[in-house]
Amino acid sequence: MSVAFGLVAAWQLIAPDLGRDVAWLGWGRVRYAHTQGIMLGWLANAFFAFLYHAVPILTGRPVTSARLGVWVFALWNFAVMAPGWVLVLAGVSQPLEWAEFPLVVDVVAILALALAGVQFLPGFFRRGVESLYVSSWYIIGGLVFTLLSYPMGNVVPEFLPGAAGAAISGLWIHDAVGLFVTPMALAILYFVIPASTGRPVFSHFLSMLGFWLLFFLYPLNGTHHYVYSVIPMAAQLTAIVASALLGVTVVIVVTNLFLSMRGAGLLPRDPALRFVGTGTFFYVIVSLQGSAQAQMAVNQTVHFTDWVVAHSHMAMLGFASFAAAGGLVHAWQRMPEARYNAAAITWAYWMLVIGLVGMVVDLTIGGLVQGELWKSGAPWIDSVTASRVYWVARAHIGSILAAGFIALLVGLTTGPRGAGMSVRPAPTADGHDEVAARLAPATEAL
Amino acid sequence: MSRAGQALRTSYLVASVAGVLFFVLSVALLGVWPARLLEEQTAAMAPEKPLEPTTSEKRGRAIYAREGCAYCHTQQIRYLHADMARFGAPTLAWETRRDTPHLWGTRRIGPDLSRVGGTRSLDWQYAHLYAPRAIVASSVMPGYPALFDGAADRPRQDARDLVAYLDSLGRARELAGPEGEARAREGCNCPDDEMQRMAFEGPLNTHPARAIRTREAAPALAGGDLERGQALYGRHCATCHGATGAGDGPGARSLVPAPAKLAEHVYTTERLADVMWHGVAGSAMPAWRDYSTEDRAALAVAVQTLSAPRPEPEVPAHLVALGREVYAANCVQCHGANGDGRGSAADKLTMAPANFTVQRLSLTEAVRVLREGIHGSPMAPWTTRLTDAERLAAAHYVRSLFRTTASTAEAR
Repeated sequence: MSVAFGLVAAWQLIAPDLGRDVAWLGWGRVRYAHTQGIMLGWLANAFFAFLYHAVPILTGRPVTSARLGVWVFALWNFAVMAPGWVLVLAGVSQPLEWAEFPLVVDVVAILALALAGVQFLPGFFRRGVESLYVSSWYIIGGLVFTLLSYPMGNVVPEFLPGAAGAAISGLWIHDAVGLFVTPMALAILYFVIPASTGRPVFSHFLSMLGFWLLFFLYPLNGTHHYVYSVIPMAAQLTAIVASALLGVTVVIVVTNLFLSMRGAGLLPRDPALRFVGTGTFFYVIVSLQGSAQAQMAVNQTVHFTDWVVAHSHMAMLGFASFAAAGGLVHAWQRMPEARYNAAAITWAYWMLVIGLVGMVVDLTIGGLVQGELWKSGAPWIDSVTASRVYWVARAHIGSILAAGFIALLVGLTTGPRGAGMSVRPAPTADGHDEVAARLAPATEAL
Repeated sequence: MSRAGQALRTSYLVASVAGVLFFVLSVALLGVWPARLLEEQTAAMAPEKPLEPTTSEKRGRAIYAREGCAYCHTQQIRYLHADMARFGAPTLAWETRRDTPHLWGTRRIGPDLSRVGGTRSLDWQYAHLYAPRAIVASSVMPGYPALFDGAADRPRQDARDLVAYLDSLGRARELAGPEGEARAREGCNCPDDEMQRMAFEGPLNTHPARAIRTREAAPALAGGDLERGQALYGRHCATCHGATGAGDGPGARSLVPAPAKLAEHVYTTERLADVMWHGVAGSAMPAWRDYSTEDRAALAVAVQTLSAPRPEPEVPAHLVALGREVYAANCVQCHGANGDGRGSAADKLTMAPANFTVQRLSLTEAVRVLREGIHGSPMAPWTTRLTDAERLAAAHYVRSLFRTTASTAEAR
């Protein structure tokens, strides 16, 4: 659904009269539905689903309650997503990026997040924090900090004027990615890689170092969305420096992840590992790109252009969606009752890779062209006509991505039940315990 | 639990507290502190009684927010010369004090709108909102026909509100005037001289399309390339003035005053240079200052070739004297004794009167204008005060005021 909204918005840029007489298909409204859908509809649901697989293994005990699970699912999908989409398309929304669902939906979302915390977190504390694996930390951090940052970003700017509101909005734009999506995606990467390769993570020390640095640095990044603005320069500079440091941190994290994958090859045979490996790769690229584009010299040209659109697609799709897909496939391989269509999953992988790389390259070049034309003083409309070729390409590439997501859906809903069990590498007599052993931190022995 | 486990537990606890504190720090450092500073700045820099938005503008703002306009149009001019050259002075905190929630935006597909108020005429806004490509051929903006009652000149309340909002953007600072600027500069406490210069020393609005009413000469144009001019005309002018210059483009229908019938006029190059540089204040005709001299010169030639040379009609002798008489009695106050548009009343009119020395209407067009007036301009129909013969004589007379210059003759 969310990809379809994105596709409609992409086509409207090259055929602007598409949906002209249908108010709810207006470009702005569809654009709201696209990003909220990707983050809350697709990624959050995928993350929750993965948590049901991972949390019992990581904590050694079941989640809090099956009935609570039904409640979280129902609230999230029927009281957050469904009304959120209906309302923004009907014209009831907030003009705040990554926070377009209106206040009434925000309240339910916060409640659902709190319930998700109750569902997933107690086990970690019962196990004892001294023996938690890094994925556990990311899950705790993600849920706790989202609960803090969600109200800050979705509620506060609705009541703050102009520049002050923009400052908070900027924080949320980054916290949504940094404190919700990234921790959940990294929890998956750190979980799937050792479970799939059959070796423990390369360094528990580096994993914990990366974890803490990420949580210290991510929240300090947000103001880089408003460089050269009237927001105090000191705040802008803090964010710019934090952005550079964040890049260093991500290199530490990704080095650890790649070293943990060593020997699996560039294209691992396990599709779950292939998804997370590729996600890891995009993670380091998108983070270094982010560090670079926060710097004033780069930002002045690329800000406001399609370069940034390419960047966010690499983050939410290349990194987060690949991680989410990897996590789902990994879990599916371990459920005897789950349908599994290996061919469709392979198709999904390739179409998503091709689509994502195509879109990123296309929009990055488009963004540079726009930025240069703006600086040259050429008439504004020249930057619009010059963009057309990139927008045409993007709309077509979008179809490849949509096909990729459909293939993923097919891969996880068709095929024989339990077919994934045979795909899964290094089968062991008792899968869960085996995986759990590999995911134990080195300190387990203490 | 072992002693090492205990130590680890303690260190994780410390780190967790630090993590939460870092989040709190981020909000305090990058959210609360800037908000307080911006509030102080606003108090110090805003005019004592700043202009408040009207109810209609507030409603328009809600529509702007609802339709996601901010996702293609920013409302934040950065402290960058490239931004300032295109849109004007950087956005100050006090200018956004009624901007709740903010509509700064992070993507520019269309231009920044912080200072669009007074830059486009209202009829242009309506026509453009109803069907953007009827005005700007290669625009990718969606149309909003739902805000209208079936035509661009029949806006519903929603369209009126939205256009009222657009026309208010940047107004508070513009109307604060030199006193407002002086107060803002004083209260600024700018971090350095460079920012102070950027914030206050450039022109407030630099929009290249904003029409300016002035007698200053525009940069001269010469030697335009016809082919290039015709291509540019097709892309940018035909939407209103029509492909053949008959004033019948798709955008023309709702514009008041109607776009000029270029094919019915002979213009000197100086006149075209002036119109393209300054626009026609009081009409939907924008300026085209962002186009290069070569482009504007090419456009001038293309426009001049739209009016095919016709044999000049012989003016009957009795009409010459009558025309002079009618003109002196009825037209000089606005159009001036020499026909240069500088009559004694000219400056008080919402639109500058035509300067007949730099443009010559075809006889039929001159007669038509005298009969029908120019709707939406101060030019009235003259059917009640002048007879048919008097109007014909006046038409001949104003045509005789045209001064053929070398450039016009050459272009033809």
